[in-house]
Amino acid sequence: MTHHPKERPNSLSRRGFLLRSAGAAAAFSGVDGLLAACGNTTSVPQGLAGPGGLPLARPDKRVTLPRWEDPIKSGLKPETGGTFTVFNYPSYLYKKVLNDFGAKYGVQVQYTPFDNVNSGLQRLASGGVTPDVMEITPDTLDIGVAGKLIKPLNLDYIPNLQKNIWPQLVDPFYDGESRYTVPYTCYATGIAWRADQIKKDIAGMDQPWDIFWESQAYKGKVALLSENRETIGMALLRKGITDINTEDPALVNQAVSDLKELYAVCNIKVDDLQYQTVPEGSSWLHQAWSGDMIAGYIYYLPKGTPASALAYWKAPRGKVPVQSDCFAICSTTKKPVLSHLFLNYLLDNGVAYENFVDFNGYQPPLNEIDPSTLVQKGVVPENLANSVLTNDDFGPDSLQYGTLTSRGQQLWEDGYSNFLAGGGS
Amino acid sequence: MYRRWLWPGLALPGVLWLVLLFVVPFYAVLGVALGKVDPILFQPVPIWNPLEWNVGWLNEVLSRLAPGGIWFDVGVRTIVYVLVSLALCLLIGYPVAYYAARHAGRWKGVILILIILPLWISYMMRMLAWVNLLQADGYVNRFLMFTHVLSQPRDWLGGSASTVIFALVYGYIPYLILPLFASLDRIDRSHLEAARDLGASPWSAFRTVTLPLSKTGILGGAVLITLPMFGDYYTPNIVSGSPKTSMIGNQIDLYFHGGPQPTIGAALTIVLAAFLTILMLYYMWSIHRAQREVGAVGAL
Repeated sequence: MTHHPKERPNSLSRRGFLLRSAGAAAAFSGVDGLLAACGNTTSVPQGLAGPGGLPLARPDKRVTLPRWEDPIKSGLKPETGGTFTVFNYPSYLYKKVLNDFGAKYGVQVQYTPFDNVNSGLQRLASGGVTPDVMEITPDTLDIGVAGKLIKPLNLDYIPNLQKNIWPQLVDPFYDGESRYTVPYTCYATGIAWRADQIKKDIAGMDQPWDIFWESQAYKGKVALLSENRETIGMALLRKGITDINTEDPALVNQAVSDLKELYAVCNIKVDDLQYQTVPEGSSWLHQAWSGDMIAGYIYYLPKGTPASALAYWKAPRGKVPVQSDCFAICSTTKKPVLSHLFLNYLLDNGVAYENFVDFNGYQPPLNEIDPSTLVQKGVVPENLANSVLTNDDFGPDSLQYGTLTSRGQQLWEDGYSNFLAGGGS
Repeated sequence: MYRRWLWPGLALPGVLWLVLLFVVPFYAVLGVALGKVDPILFQPVPIWNPLEWNVGWLNEVLSRLAPGGIWFDVGVRTIVYVLVSLALCLLIGYPVAYYAARHAGRWKGVILILIILPLWISYMMRMLAWVNLLQADGYVNRFLMFTHVLSQPRDWLGGSASTVIFALVYGYIPYLILPLFASLDRIDRSHLEAARDLGASPWSAFRTVTLPLSKTGILGGAVLITLPMFGDYYTPNIVSGSPKTSMIGNQIDLYFHGGPQPTIGAALTIVLAAFLTILMLYYMWSIHRAQREVGAVGAL
């Protein structure tokens, strides 16, 4: 999966079920049921399936996930009192937004962080946490559904989805009919650099990703994201391979081999601190998510350093990986109605904008947000306007990291392990 | 009867402690390393019955660590970093412990407090503090340029092995000094006086009396710092971030970080533990031998 920088108690029956099935996911009777319920809009690559045997969603292969239980009925009153728990990356949601929600509905809002969505789902399945809502990503969605860890939504409670959110993400390819998720933030993967240190016209290069292989002069100041999908995916894109969900060992191994060349070129580093290190100047060239530069400009650019010192490039649609982080309701919730209202609350124009501009730096996919408005308001400097995404960045011909088969995930993880080991390039 | 059970009874809390906090968790790691993976959640599914253990992951890890395997370099690098760090810790720590034990007089307590003082702050915070100090415009570069040791700022955080080793030494050296101090402080001065009375030079007395008598402290301290160093992953992460300075602990961290193969991480942990067990056995054998030698010296 692609991790984000901010980088139901598992029922005995399900656990017993898993063990009895001797690991053959597709053989689970529950999963068979789920598969049988998949809509016609789904497209399963021949012989390939994701966790639990669910079809693999791709931007050009929409999947409508089966509901493993009925959503709650419409018109119910929200639960009040007690604690409402949000399970998310650390520091990825504005405390004021949470407190305001708690005050509005008379609950104490608790924020429980996880390292990444995968480990968060594992904690959820183990019963170690019992949150009401959690962040989830499109490439981990299958795990949440197949594991019955997240609940189907009743969109009657979430009118802001239709009203405020980009059409491409109202009924997204990874979750047709928005049966389980609503979008939270969106971002693209590109290159961030210090324009005051690197004079080369990176955006004007035939293949801007080549800059990492031509970065001898910036040795020690060059870094890639610390994520297996992003690093290997970038090496694939550099070679013109746009299938960033490939499970071809030859392609993945070649990408890893290319990445290892960077040891000698620039003593490449890996970290997810680009939103801080680039503005502060300790990193000059960094693979980065678009939101990093907005957050970096807002929070980390030292006084006296002009915004023009920061630069960001992302490829045009069809060549740039774009992602959307989502929110879902956990099966552990004791407040299902309130959880729906929380999702609706997050999609409120005012709330989403406040969370974005006053805290997060990662933009919500709101219709009312567009690059020129943000530049006019001074939220984003003009030279970073290209780090703001629009509805047009998403669509069937866009690139998104999707769920891989179990074998594919192992291939990418082992490839990244090879790169991270720093052995013979 | 009462006396017969008294002394073994005193060991009971320690035995229970070991069983609960070492044997059981270690067996759990073993069960994970030789177990299965949940195909949906990628959670490890431990196998508790040794007869059903699956050694496939273990074989996979061993093949990766073998010459030509993808982890061979990182394995060798880890051993080199730990050995160099240990040598530097001894070079720096032994004189400090020696001075504190033998010559500090009334300052002994103050020196001990100063050695322990950094441990009051978490390891992570201390490392993060060094990240600030080692920045291009940080105080370390400023000082070295002010004293003309450097003519221009050095890129300490650019992913160099020396910075990682320095950080390991800084982070772990107090744990070496303390047992060394205890060992040196216990040495009976009459042994040294006897050596000097018999014509030994200060160096000769140190080499033939102090050093052998402090061997248990050296070995104890060495074990105390090398074991965590072998599993360290946050130090290279914080002060370097380069794959060329990553250690074996980084691989364990990677595979335990929510990916599809936690069993690989567990199997690597087992292999590392087996390697460290060999070192521990050597330590125990050395301690046994050193104690016999001490006994012999004492008998003289």
